[in-house]
Amino acid sequence: MAVNLVGHLECFVAVAEELHFGRAADRLGMAQPPLSQRIQRLEKELGTRLFDRSSRRVALTASGRLLLEEARDLLDRAGRILTVAERAGDRATLRVGIPEDLDGAVVASLIGTFRDVRPDLPLELRPALTEDHLRALADGTLDVGVLRHPCDTSGLALGPMLGEPLGALLPDGSPPAAAPELRLADLEGHDLVVPRRGNSSAALEDLLASCARHGFVPGAVHESPHPQFTLGLVLAGTAVALVPRTPAAPGTVWRPLLGAPLLRRTSCAWRAGAPPEGPIADLIDVTTRVLRTEAAMTPVPHRVVLRPSSGFLA
Amino acid sequence: MTSVIEGTFREAGVAGWLHAVDLDSGREVGVRPDESVVLASVFKVPLLVAFFRRAAAGGLDPVERAVLPPGDRVAGTTGTSVLLDEVRMSLRDLACMMITVSDNTAADAVLARVGLEHVNRALVELGLERTRVTGSASDLHASLMADAGVTDPAELWSRLAEPGMSGRLSALDPARSSHGTPRELTRLLAAIWRDEAAPPAECAQMRRMLGLQVWPHRLASGFPYDDVLVSGKTGTLLNLRNEIGVVEYPDGGRYALAVFTRARSTAATHPRADAAIGTAARLAVQELRGWATSS
Repeated sequence: MAVNLVGHLECFVAVAEELHFGRAADRLGMAQPPLSQRIQRLEKELGTRLFDRSSRRVALTASGRLLLEEARDLLDRAGRILTVAERAGDRATLRVGIPEDLDGAVVASLIGTFRDVRPDLPLELRPALTEDHLRALADGTLDVGVLRHPCDTSGLALGPMLGEPLGALLPDGSPPAAAPELRLADLEGHDLVVPRRGNSSAALEDLLASCARHGFVPGAVHESPHPQFTLGLVLAGTAVALVPRTPAAPGTVWRPLLGAPLLRRTSCAWRAGAPPEGPIADLIDVTTRVLRTEAAMTPVPHRVVLRPSSGFLA
Repeated sequence: MTSVIEGTFREAGVAGWLHAVDLDSGREVGVRPDESVVLASVFKVPLLVAFFRRAAAGGLDPVERAVLPPGDRVAGTTGTSVLLDEVRMSLRDLACMMITVSDNTAADAVLARVGLEHVNRALVELGLERTRVTGSASDLHASLMADAGVTDPAELWSRLAEPGMSGRLSALDPARSSHGTPRELTRLLAAIWRDEAAPPAECAQMRRMLGLQVWPHRLASGFPYDDVLVSGKTGTLLNLRNEIGVVEYPDGGRYALAVFTRARSTAATHPRADAAIGTAARLAVQELRGWATSS
């Protein structure tokens, strides 16, 4: 076959889906005349007309309809070939997604520890939001992601779930700040400020449910676009923030919560399928180790008592 | 805290009675905990205790087969009560049906084998002076029909709002029906959880059955936490909605609860009343835990 079949079929599917050469050309990022030429060439190659073109509209012919499903199927498989080839090939770097706010010392340790284990393989760290990492893992453009939970982990395999206890960030001198350790119920009557970015609705729901369970129902929940705004609301006494232990900014104090009722949960994730091996297995191992030692994250115990009403096939 | 719990009952349109006790510290919370209340299907818990006490004493064989012939079922909406054909089942499996889905036919088959006098003897032996079982599920149904002058439960429901009707029903009167107090029922649960109601192996079987109860709408609804085990037994009779049970937290905290309600409305479906049982129970448990380390 003389033509680049995959490239031409991409054009065919785009026109068949848009039923409009101009829109299909836009979608493919090309001009309309070469698109028309490609379709003509494909029709010639296949020996059948794919579209009826009138001055007003474009319609699929019977052969076009017949070939559309086949074309889609072939494009899917071609895409998979590329993904598999990319995975199987020797890459010069490993791509790791990390949370944007991962502590600097942890980032450094991640790079340094992996360098000790695999001096031949540089790490490419990509700081971004968990939702971006999820997309990149699905696309095959990320090898391992360090994800914040809860998030949609379908199609992924997860490393051990690690937790960091959250504490309360309060204005220095406020009544609850007087105690070295707080109960969440001591925050009753305060508003809560949460970061807007990277806080999925599921994560916020989880946080609020845990707060309520421990006796803290915030008067209002403020979404903050930036850590400085969060700090401002805390300093003003408008709201408290629930954050992992951080060096407190002047005028604020961080207090741990008795019994660590709130945990920020983090784990490594990679595409489910074959068990990880080689450099990826090393990377998962190093990342989990560094998060435990450098970020002081500890495995999250998770007991689920299944109730009959939510039991198997209930 | 008791005023908050009473507010929960009031907002749900029910009169409520509650007793909650920390099984380890003995701390307690009560809302009219010593008043006499109608057990309704909660009577199946004293029956369960008596069954396993007799089994442990050799008075009956728990794996003995019972035969439930077709066409001879006690009124009820669950379990073997709704089945059409002959059922053969061991006594302990019938006991399991009577606890997990409140199967009335199974309960009466167990009661027939245990004997009503043994149920009340067990209560006396456990020091429960104000809890008594006066009859079977079938007896209760017959009294309802006779008092109301009707022949089927649907008709009773449709006439329940008639003036004077609920006052005529002896089944709703603790003085004339199986009865107890919230405090005595948490003592009964405590005895099951402390292996005092029967030998430890029998108590473990009772706890298993109570933990397998299917209903999510009452006690369990108040504890929407994956790591908390809720075991219980409901009781439902017209506008009476009850549940007794034990809630166990991952840190080892164990709380026995007995919640009894009587709705002002005669609606058969009353989800707010069901949910109030769970909410009241959670408020009581929160009080007992003092918002401690891992509520």
